[in-house]
Amino acid sequence: MTSMGGGGNMALDDMSSEIIMETLPLSEPVLLILLSLADRSRHGYAILKDVEGMSDGRVVLSTGTLYGALRRLLDDEWIERLEEEDSSRGRQAYRLTPRGRKSLQLEVSRMKHLTRVANLRVAARGNS
Amino acid sequence: MLGIYRGLLRFYPAAHRKQFGAEMAVVFRDLEADAATCGRFAQAIFRLHEITGLLTGAVREHVRAFGGDRDWLPLPIRSFTMHSEFRFPKSTPVLMTMILAGIIVAIEKGKAIQASLPDLNPPIGPIQPPHHAFLPSIVLALVIFYAAGLIGWGILYALRRSGVHRLDETPAIGK
Repeated sequence: MTSMGGGGNMALDDMSSEIIMETLPLSEPVLLILLSLADRSRHGYAILKDVEGMSDGRVVLSTGTLYGALRRLLDDEWIERLEEEDSSRGRQAYRLTPRGRKSLQLEVSRMKHLTRVANLRVAARGNS
Repeated sequence: MLGIYRGLLRFYPAAHRKQFGAEMAVVFRDLEADAATCGRFAQAIFRLHEITGLLTGAVREHVRAFGGDRDWLPLPIRSFTMHSEFRFPKSTPVLMTMILAGIIVAIEKGKAIQASLPDLNPPIGPIQPPHHAFLPSIVLALVIFYAAGLIGWGILYALRRSGVHRLDETPAIGK
């Protein structure tokens, strides 16, 4: 595979976490797409199936929605496009860039914090 | 159905179509093959889901190409991007009805303003605001609106029944 995107070499030091935080919280489809690409690169079809599986069939993206989200993520350099050696079937794979991984980590941290606070509040309510 | 899908892709801006068009068609073809193993109703829902997502996505891309992004839109775009178990977004008929009612109100207001202006064209004569036809026109427009939707759905269903979608799988002569 050869990289086609330009965001993969961007130094994370140049990136401000505050700027990323302004884009949070992510919508559920975008979060699931990023999670789908977190462990390995995937094609569009594989992303759709993975998103559906992760959400237990609750979030079913159409191709129009998926490629709209992918286009925005490409523009923001959160993901990059890979060109496979056998691209004759019109398949393109995508993977997270360092910026996208950082954004995903920040979102997960935000959600962890929120979950922790919610658990504490719910437990306090249950004990009273 | 793949031919229809490729036809609907023409609603997208050329740049988006050039970048993603072929890839989207390939993914759609794979999804359609999956849906073919399900029941007829599930296939119909799948097609409606895809067509809705495609058209919504085309509008969104045109808005972006026009110079903006979803942030300035007064519509909850995110509710259109999430489809729970192929269900059509519940807000869509309400929003579309509101938009249609707004357009009709604007037309009626325009007619009323036109009628209030001085008579500059005596042969035609002043146009009286048709207050009496306001509510019936809304009802008639809604009926036409939903009938058009049903006809469109019927056409898609008939196309599927006729097997015209299989023409896409026919190899070209000479190849």
